[in-house]
Amino acid sequence: MRKMAAGLIMAALVTGLVGCGSSDKNDNGSTETASKTDSSTAAATDSTAKTDTAEKTKLTLWFYFEGKERFDKIKALTDGYTAQNPNVEIEPVFIPFADFKKKLSVGLAASDLPDIVVIDNPDTAAYAAMGLFADITDKVNAWPDKDQFFPGPWSSTILDGKQYAIPLGSNNLALFYNEKMLSDAGVTPPTTWDELRTTAKALTKDGVTGLGIAAPGNEEGTFQFLPWLLSAGAAFDQVGGAEGAKAYGFLADLVKDGSMSKDVINWTQADVMKQFASGKIAMMINGPWQLPELATNAPDLKYGIALVPKDKQFSSVLGGENLGIVNGKHVDEAVDFAMYVESPEVLKNFAQGFGYFPARKDVAADPYWADNEQLKVFADNMNYAQPRGPHPKWPEISNALSEALDKTLLGSGSAEDNAKEAQAKIDKILGK
Amino acid sequence: MCVHAITLHRTPNAMNRVVKALLRRHQTITGYVLVLPALIYMLFFVGYPIIDNFRLSLLDVNVMNVSHGEQPYVGLQNYRDLFEEGILVTSIVNTMIYTAACIVLQFIIGLAFALLFSKSFRFAQRLRGFIMISWLLPATITAMMYKFMFSGDGVVNELMTQLHLGSHVDWLVTPVPAMITLIIANTWIGIPFNMILLTTGLTTIPKDIYESASIDGANALQKFVRLTLPLLKPAIYSLLVLGFIYTFKVFELVLIATHGGPVNATQMMSTYAYKLSFELFKFSHGAAAANVMFVILFMVGVLYLWMVRREEVSSS
Repeated sequence: MRKMAAGLIMAALVTGLVGCGSSDKNDNGSTETASKTDSSTAAATDSTAKTDTAEKTKLTLWFYFEGKERFDKIKALTDGYTAQNPNVEIEPVFIPFADFKKKLSVGLAASDLPDIVVIDNPDTAAYAAMGLFADITDKVNAWPDKDQFFPGPWSSTILDGKQYAIPLGSNNLALFYNEKMLSDAGVTPPTTWDELRTTAKALTKDGVTGLGIAAPGNEEGTFQFLPWLLSAGAAFDQVGGAEGAKAYGFLADLVKDGSMSKDVINWTQADVMKQFASGKIAMMINGPWQLPELATNAPDLKYGIALVPKDKQFSSVLGGENLGIVNGKHVDEAVDFAMYVESPEVLKNFAQGFGYFPARKDVAADPYWADNEQLKVFADNMNYAQPRGPHPKWPEISNALSEALDKTLLGSGSAEDNAKEAQAKIDKILGK
Repeated sequence: MCVHAITLHRTPNAMNRVVKALLRRHQTITGYVLVLPALIYMLFFVGYPIIDNFRLSLLDVNVMNVSHGEQPYVGLQNYRDLFEEGILVTSIVNTMIYTAACIVLQFIIGLAFALLFSKSFRFAQRLRGFIMISWLLPATITAMMYKFMFSGDGVVNELMTQLHLGSHVDWLVTPVPAMITLIIANTWIGIPFNMILLTTGLTTIPKDIYESASIDGANALQKFVRLTLPLLKPAIYSLLVLGFIYTFKVFELVLIATHGGPVNATQMMSTYAYKLSFELFKFSHGAAAANVMFVILFMVGVLYLWMVRREEVSSS
């Protein structure tokens, strides 16, 4: 008996381990390949460096995009810059998103910092306030291209009238829907909240839930919640009223209806994409960076893209990154690099490969975005995509917003009470 | 050292005491010289961060003044803020519940395994080796594995439905089940550690004691309660304290599996301190939260030393 019991336990343990073993391997694989390409290209540039003995200025760029493919695309930017400016070499360094903010904060205290940081746009103000970034107002004012940027991304690089970064690329959120599931259920893509509620309910059957969003208690949750909040007529610093409560309440109602899984509070946007790709949800809220992912994960899936359904008005929130210029010895080179990346030709190629929406109007007018059925939605959205903040204490504000969302989705406390509580916290943060 | 002091105290002969004291002084100096390197190391790498963290917790350091500008002294205001806000208290309670539950479960199951594998049967050695794997795995991997297994449409829910053990549970997104998931995951990690320490403890118990107990007519339960447990006492003490410390400062497991959620239902002291410092950039509040955790662990450490000393005194 004992032997049998032990055998059973072993079997359980081993099956448990198989799953993790493979995932472990995958992780190692991707980092290994990434570091391999890194070292090989580094070796290549080293040998060229030896031939022209002129001294090179070396810069470091930190970013958090995962995967070898994205590493290569960033690397193409830095290599492209070095090809034009042989005296400057920029080394891209991948740091996982989970460690990114910690590394920056610790690096700031220890003065161990890169020269350029790819930073999430709502975090830019906080790090500018911490003194991480250099004031590049004068340099940017002398740049003729500065008027080409959309106001949303541009404002995310400014704090108290001073420029600290240059937009790298933007994105925003829209509604993706599974065409087959909608036509099978005989419904059309919803445009208003009421339509969304009935459509999601109609689509929920046979192990499929109507809608999926990412609502974890962090910045990702806030990012996905803001379109609803803004659409109801509230703002990030005015959530306590009836409009804010309505936005919270509406999403909670979807969970109550069963049209949205409670699991959304544990889903990242990548998880939502996988659920959609595997046909477990009929509609999702997600961004254009998922288009290449969807093409790989579900090449046969037919889906459409529409604006996030509205209450009072269509709303979207601005996602994307900025190139933060670190206050250090290489500010001039770093700014020059950022301007190179944002020059129309370079940006066009980079943004297409990266699933980014260009932050420049002239590049966004390119047929690639303007005439593409799917991308057009995101292009329309850019006109009213609002930035988060900008405020140096945005992380705290965001925490109050996403915590209230999770509380409401879990059904702990009414939407009104949670909205009021969030408002009280935000008022305290803003010093009102 | 303390044990010596006590035996010294008990020596009745006064003359003897003086001689011993002289000898001891000489030895003491040599002793101090020998511990000096370790002492310096501790001061630099343990003492300094602790003191600096305490200093930080008395200032108001946030995004606006972390690298430049004035960092005002606010006394105990940060601690007051944290206790008023309530999440710190929630996190202390959560950590306590989690630690207590994990230690009890790990200990019982670990002891059962230790006893099982102390019997010699085929594959005993090999199986014991296999069980160690859960201890050797990085906590991050374990956390991802459990997050996957306990997700809404994960294997656990699947099994429960297939075996008619109950209805679908949203494990990771409902407060109590989320805590239970973490406890199960950590127990799984901790069993081998408990098992190995207890196995080592078991091997130090001489076999002939059991033989004579059998001759005296003791049954298995009596032997376990009257012999095994008391003789395992030193191993159990160190196990409980080490286990407490390991479990109390849990971090990656929670950060990855639940991220302290849903809505702080599994927020631990370590994850909360991390969140304050590195997600919300309230560095001083983060330091204060970490200090509260330090004080609790320090008290447990002192308690352990006290227990060990009492034990040594009573056995000497």
